[in-house]
Amino acid sequence: MNETPFELAVKELEAGTEDIRPSDIVSYSEPLRSALNFVIRLGRFSMTEFQEKLEFTREETKKISDILVARNLFAISRFTTAEETYFESRLTAMTRPLTRPPSDIWKKIE
Amino acid sequence: MSTIISVHSFRGGTGKSNTTANISALLAVDGARVGVVDTDIQSPGIHVLFNLDESEMGHSLNDYLWGKCSIEETAHDVTSHLGAEVKGQVFLIPSSIKPGEIARILREGYDVGLLNDGFRDVVEKLKLDYLLIDTHPGLNEETLLSIAISNALVIILRPDSQDYQGTAVTVDVARKLDVPKMLMLVNKVPPQFDLEDVRTRVEQTYDATVAAVLPHSDEMMTLASSGIFAIRFPDHPMTKGLRKLVDQLKA
Repeated sequence: MNETPFELAVKELEAGTEDIRPSDIVSYSEPLRSALNFVIRLGRFSMTEFQEKLEFTREETKKISDILVARNLFAISRFTTAEETYFESRLTAMTRPLTRPPSDIWKKIE
Repeated sequence: MSTIISVHSFRGGTGKSNTTANISALLAVDGARVGVVDTDIQSPGIHVLFNLDESEMGHSLNDYLWGKCSIEETAHDVTSHLGAEVKGQVFLIPSSIKPGEIARILREGYDVGLLNDGFRDVVEKLKLDYLLIDTHPGLNEETLLSIAISNALVIILRPDSQDYQGTAVTVDVARKLDVPKMLMLVNKVPPQFDLEDVRTRVEQTYDATVAAVLPHSDEMMTLASSGIFAIRFPDHPMTKGLRKLVDQLKA
């Protein structure tokens, strides 16, 4: 059975537990990759902006956002209100991973 | 709204630092406030082009990455080092050139997320119009991060088969990171080559805009990184090519 773009995005994001690295973004499927590229450049953005790029439902966008918060790519901003959730994005990765496995950058790019 | 520009090449020796320094100077000539970050921590060098001596360096990017200071404390105003009066300002964030500090960062590594934070902070705190990131050649997490947060990417290559192949990988990755503006710069073209032929070949190979094709320059070689070429030789064909690149970055 074919997965929907939302199901595929969840599967890809839940495949890892570490912080999301720049090389991870390259390997994600659409529309997740483009939406992440967009909000990472913005730095600060709302759930609505993220949803517009993903073209998922609000509930689906929230599920994706929750995983991204858990994997430390998104942090909930202090500007969040009852009506709107705001995020800040932060890519991370150790250049010399002493306690984590190598990033397999070439495998991801290929 | 600030513009973050990464200057990258797949291979070393293409003239990345020289190009970055010249772009910054030409933007400052136009009145912009420009920051330049040397993220080539393993082999730093752009400070030489700005005549920033080790004794003047104070804090470096390494100190920020180790939590010893804020990112803005590492920024050195090098406007007076450009060699001419300019309307704007240039701030350089150098990497350490102390062997022990280079060895430490290679041994211990660092969290590239700090670069993410630092780039955004320095743009805000120094009210920069442009932030130029001079990257390490090849592809690694730092480079990908720089491209991922940049609004524009300049990819430099020489007319050399090894450069052509490696550049294809960089272009592919840049497209996957949706970099809004990608410009190619062909550098160090031997005098025997037809510049227009080179431009056509590169444009067709990568399906990307070639901002300029710069011929090999004896004057550049003679300058030997002791200054900013575009300032010293404002009417040189190479400076005109760099000016075209800057105009496209500003467009």
